[in-house]
Amino acid sequence: MSQTAAQRFLQDAAVKSADLMHREIIRRGMESYDVAHLKGRARIKDWEAAREKCQEIKREAINHLDRYLLQFEEKVIARGGHVFWAANSEEACTYVKNLATRLGVRTVVKSKSMVTEEIQLSPVLEKAGIKVWETDLGEFIVQLREEPPYHIVTPAMHLNRGQIAKLFREKLDPGIESDDPADLMAAARRILRQAFFAAEMGISGANFLVADAGVIAISTNEGNGRLCTSVPRIHVVVSGIEKVIPRLEDLAVLWPVLATSGTGQGITTYGTLIGGPRRPGEVDGAEEFHVVLVDNGRSQLLADAEQREVLHCIRCGACLNICPVFRHVGGHTYGTTYPGPIGSVLTPHLNGIKEFKHLSYASSLCGACSSVCPVKIDLAHHLLQNRRNATEAGATKESERLIFRVWRYAMLRPRMYALGGWLVRKALRIIYGLGLAGSILDPMRVWNRYRSPVPLPSESFRARWRKGLDAN
Amino acid sequence: MQTKEAQTKEAQTGNPSRDRILERIRAGLRTVVPEPAALRSGPVIFEPINNPLERFQQECIGNLMECALTADSATSARQLSKVLQSLPEGETFVQDDPALRRLIEQAAPARPIRWSSQGAPGEASQATVTLAEALIAQTGSILVTSACGGRGASVIAPCHIVYATVAQLVPDLATALSRVSQERKLDSNSFACVISGSSRTADIEKILVQGAHGPRRLVVILQAAT
Repeated sequence: MSQTAAQRFLQDAAVKSADLMHREIIRRGMESYDVAHLKGRARIKDWEAAREKCQEIKREAINHLDRYLLQFEEKVIARGGHVFWAANSEEACTYVKNLATRLGVRTVVKSKSMVTEEIQLSPVLEKAGIKVWETDLGEFIVQLREEPPYHIVTPAMHLNRGQIAKLFREKLDPGIESDDPADLMAAARRILRQAFFAAEMGISGANFLVADAGVIAISTNEGNGRLCTSVPRIHVVVSGIEKVIPRLEDLAVLWPVLATSGTGQGITTYGTLIGGPRRPGEVDGAEEFHVVLVDNGRSQLLADAEQREVLHCIRCGACLNICPVFRHVGGHTYGTTYPGPIGSVLTPHLNGIKEFKHLSYASSLCGACSSVCPVKIDLAHHLLQNRRNATEAGATKESERLIFRVWRYAMLRPRMYALGGWLVRKALRIIYGLGLAGSILDPMRVWNRYRSPVPLPSESFRARWRKGLDAN
Repeated sequence: MQTKEAQTKEAQTGNPSRDRILERIRAGLRTVVPEPAALRSGPVIFEPINNPLERFQQECIGNLMECALTADSATSARQLSKVLQSLPEGETFVQDDPALRRLIEQAAPARPIRWSSQGAPGEASQATVTLAEALIAQTGSILVTSACGGRGASVIAPCHIVYATVAQLVPDLATALSRVSQERKLDSNSFACVISGSSRTADIEKILVQGAHGPRRLVVILQAAT
């Protein structure tokens, strides 16, 4: 691979932000989210207090992560469930694959889970000859397109009904005529219904691991998560270790806040709690219940006093939705499992600062992400901290360092700085005068390529400042 | 009978990373993170609920579910047959409970009944009829557990009918959840679910489609007296 992640990002961002159809689809999607989100927030009497409460719950959980995970584990095991701790993707995938092979699994139904995307579980299972069905409508669509989810909550929000209808005709049934969302859902339901009842294993994520009750909590709307965890004889939960919360009662605020931030709903349709395999005397449920707790770099963040709170994230997607960068470049451009502000903060920690430091600059530092985060993660400042960390780790380019050395030199010598400013203004005036703005000879090319140049001031700020002072 | 520790030990075999991860977590937590100021004293996050029944009915509308208030078991039975008659031919799955046995007897539907004691609902069930553990006014939700006909009873069929009484109403989620904790419901049930409406999706162009993989209709027959 000759292209770096940063080069790919810039290239894809340029293509996507010039794609008018993409922009229109995202604009419409985000507009309807904005309306629902604001309406949802208005239903909560004191939204700020709700955010503070959620922040407090998650802080309590993360600050005692070992204790709460052990409490959760003990309860699950006592009910006959299994808990596996995976240090990385490979361990997690191998565990699930071996389990599936040992128990003769041929078909798996999955409900939406970003952790399984992160650890790339499906390709591992498919390589072992197991058929994997994504059953959330959005996930099902992107699986058919063989692409990753576009957004952590609404995976197929980059497509319109026409594109989805065409996809279904090609991949599922040439007889699908309508492109009405209800008919498309019905078509997916028909096919996935067979999968639910054929599958031996259901794989789900978890929105929360409730320590005191020893149950997983899953929020879903479609009911696919319910079927995945009710019908097949094996249920595997894959969850990040940071999903733990202390008490069942915490859900009384976390559930409404997650729903409000995720989709604008007052509460998600199904708030499911599962604590183990089917008990004697119960009508149905999985005979085997396994929870895979994935670390995969998360525990490192605990030692980072500034950024430990990144582990508070409940993956609602609100920061993606509000982000002006996400709204223009779209989810796939990030090239990461978690896109948008939270992804830009988290990915350098999980996948390396050197390769992903450019994401810290995929931000206008407007702070909108920090302002909407339901657990009050200060995302905008974490992006700044990642910029600083990258520079301190020497991950910046030689040319960039040189420019900053020159700038620093000039900043320390006011006359030199004034001279430099004068020279640049003169040079730009000549270049712009010759009509070369945006050309390869223009030092401001990055900006001027797609925009008309910012008018040059007639005099420097220093000169104006001095005049202003004299006038006083 | 194994001790808890022995069970834990047994379940841990073949999990070499467990202790390593715990060690890493503990090492990370030794870093001290300054705590921000404590929470404002007792802010009221949610609007207090004065009239649970009224609130529940309102929320049902918002959640796209049907709530039929009935006076007694006879009207409940009539309501049930009305709903069942509107459905296509097919099996009805019913939680095997004395109250529901009586209701079905009164309603006398002209369609095959499968009781939960005979096994899980079939793939082709047209409707399921169950009880609920509680109704939550704040969110217009019903709380079910495995005891309410199992896990599939509330999700497999296109129509889920819940037979409940007004006395089962609790004001909010906090009350419902703390009751689940106190009564140790999750130790006696492997599953519980707070259901707030029929299944839905907005994955295509953010347009709401009612009836996704689960029920298209959620009907609560809410009886005033027991």
